[in-house]
Amino acid sequence: MALQASDAVVPGLGLPSLRSRLRGLDLWVPAAVLAAMAVACFLVPLFGHVPGPNAGVLSQTRLPPLSRGHLLGTDTLGNDLLSRCLYGGQVSIEVGLGSVALGLMAGGVLGILAGYKGAIYDSSIMRLLDMILAFPPLVLALAVASYLGPNEQDVIFAIAFFTTPATARLARAQTLKLREREFIVAAELAGHKAWYILRRHVVPNVAPSLLTFGLTLVAVAMIIEAALDFLGLGIRPPEPSWGSMIASGQSYLSTSPWIVFVPTGFLFVTVTSLNLLGNALRTRWARS
Amino acid sequence: MVLNLTQVIGRRILQLIPVLVGVTLINFLLLNLLPGGTAVAILGASATSQEVTVLTKELGLNRPVMVRYWDWLWAAVHGNLGHSLLTQQSVASLLGQRVPVTAELLLLAFLIAFVLSIPLAVLSAWRPRGVVDRISNLLAMVGLSTPNFIVALVLVLVLAIHLRVLPSTGFQPLSAGLWPNVQTLIMPAVAMSLVLFATYLQVLRGDMVDQLAKEDYVVAVRARGVSTWRLLVQHVLRNSLFGIITVVGVNIGTLIGGTVIVESMFSIPGVGQLLVSSIFSRDAPVVEGVVVMMAIVVVMVNLVTDLLYAVLDPRVRYGATG
Repeated sequence: MALQASDAVVPGLGLPSLRSRLRGLDLWVPAAVLAAMAVACFLVPLFGHVPGPNAGVLSQTRLPPLSRGHLLGTDTLGNDLLSRCLYGGQVSIEVGLGSVALGLMAGGVLGILAGYKGAIYDSSIMRLLDMILAFPPLVLALAVASYLGPNEQDVIFAIAFFTTPATARLARAQTLKLREREFIVAAELAGHKAWYILRRHVVPNVAPSLLTFGLTLVAVAMIIEAALDFLGLGIRPPEPSWGSMIASGQSYLSTSPWIVFVPTGFLFVTVTSLNLLGNALRTRWARS
Repeated sequence: MVLNLTQVIGRRILQLIPVLVGVTLINFLLLNLLPGGTAVAILGASATSQEVTVLTKELGLNRPVMVRYWDWLWAAVHGNLGHSLLTQQSVASLLGQRVPVTAELLLLAFLIAFVLSIPLAVLSAWRPRGVVDRISNLLAMVGLSTPNFIVALVLVLVLAIHLRVLPSTGFQPLSAGLWPNVQTLIMPAVAMSLVLFATYLQVLRGDMVDQLAKEDYVVAVRARGVSTWRLLVQHVLRNSLFGIITVVGVNIGTLIGGTVIVESMFSIPGVGQLLVSSIFSRDAPVVEGVVVMMAIVVVMVNLVTDLLYAVLDPRVRYGATG
């Protein structure tokens, strides 16, 4: 997604060719890991022979990894951990992407508007968003989630309360920088309407850095989601999610640590890859 | 127009008033206008609509929201944040009991992060791309990607379950002695400090390498024959530590959020655990009080770090446009 969007901007900024900037293992390794994770979570349960996330048998509880029929072992109810991690990954990915997509849209619009229009738009929008940012993200999500309810959609909304102002700040800063550039001034002098300039020049140039920032935000959103589940205020068992799996394995940490560390591994690999990919893209934008 | 320091401080404190009003208003509206609302939250989803109406009236929640906000604000300004629905204890006194514990935990986390990140950052900047630099870069990456509850679980598994050197949960107050107190706080503090450690390491290292490459004074000091090592420790590090002050302000929100999880995991009786337990017991006044207090702390810490920066570095003192 980020790569396609960056595609569109290259001619406008006169940057080195896209191809030369997309080389390097630091970019492709995390991208490949993320792609593999997405395929595993969304496609393998559809087409592969994966037992149901709640199809556990009580005679097969707490089997260690590499047991017969259960590659990553089973949990306290005999459920297959690999299967639960894959289904749980769907939740994490959906919540991560959903809350960041909401944040990018709402925050992007507000931030660009504040940066481009300035004056009263700028001060009123940004003051309000800064106040929302004063609330610690997890605390805000906790408070909102506790009133809304423990389902996926509400968790997405709860986290979007944080992703929106965070995105808006960056969108505003980027728009302010762009406003001084010659091609925007030229477009204004040529008599183009504000709406046209925003759509044709501002949005395509702000989008790449917003999407790169979005990758880091997805990582943060996934951690918040896992934390909400972990505290019992997000997705709840029996519905699988990485956070709630970690929480429910906690009491068996001394005897069956894999119940905690299998979902932990999934979360860690995904979050690390998102951060690495974000870093790789950011250094490429900074170089140009 | 250049303002003097007192004017800068006075101005920022005046600007604080609308921000505080705004933060309390957002907190109030958010927790009162969400679907469900307090009465449903207290009674649970299975309550009949009649029960909800009765309780709503009893709690005075049927009055217009702005009237209720004004009453709340008026009482809050006088130090009255309401009473717990569960224990009838005043929210202010509950906070009074819990805040010192959380403050100690946060201070310990900051201390650990500083003690570990500063030497590593200096060593990394001393030989960029050397072995130490590469290892600390990796550590920083891992630190930024690991949620605090995972760090906590690993610590419990290794230190409490396998090595049995620390208790896995529980809390001893400072009055029980320094060592028992630190023993119960060290694992939660380390769990929270990993993100701070990673951030400080990256910021400090980056800033020091930048200074070595760009600043004129570095050339001047080097020309006097001072070794890179002494230059780093005596001059560059001191300048870079300024930059960290801003990062502390930026991080405080995430850090306070972290107390919620870590305190619940380790049964530490701080503000974070109070928030989680009152969410579960549907104790709305306490939830409101804790959330608004946390937001105010974030605002105040940001103000203090901004001002400290202005005091320490005259270049950032505001002009007329500030």
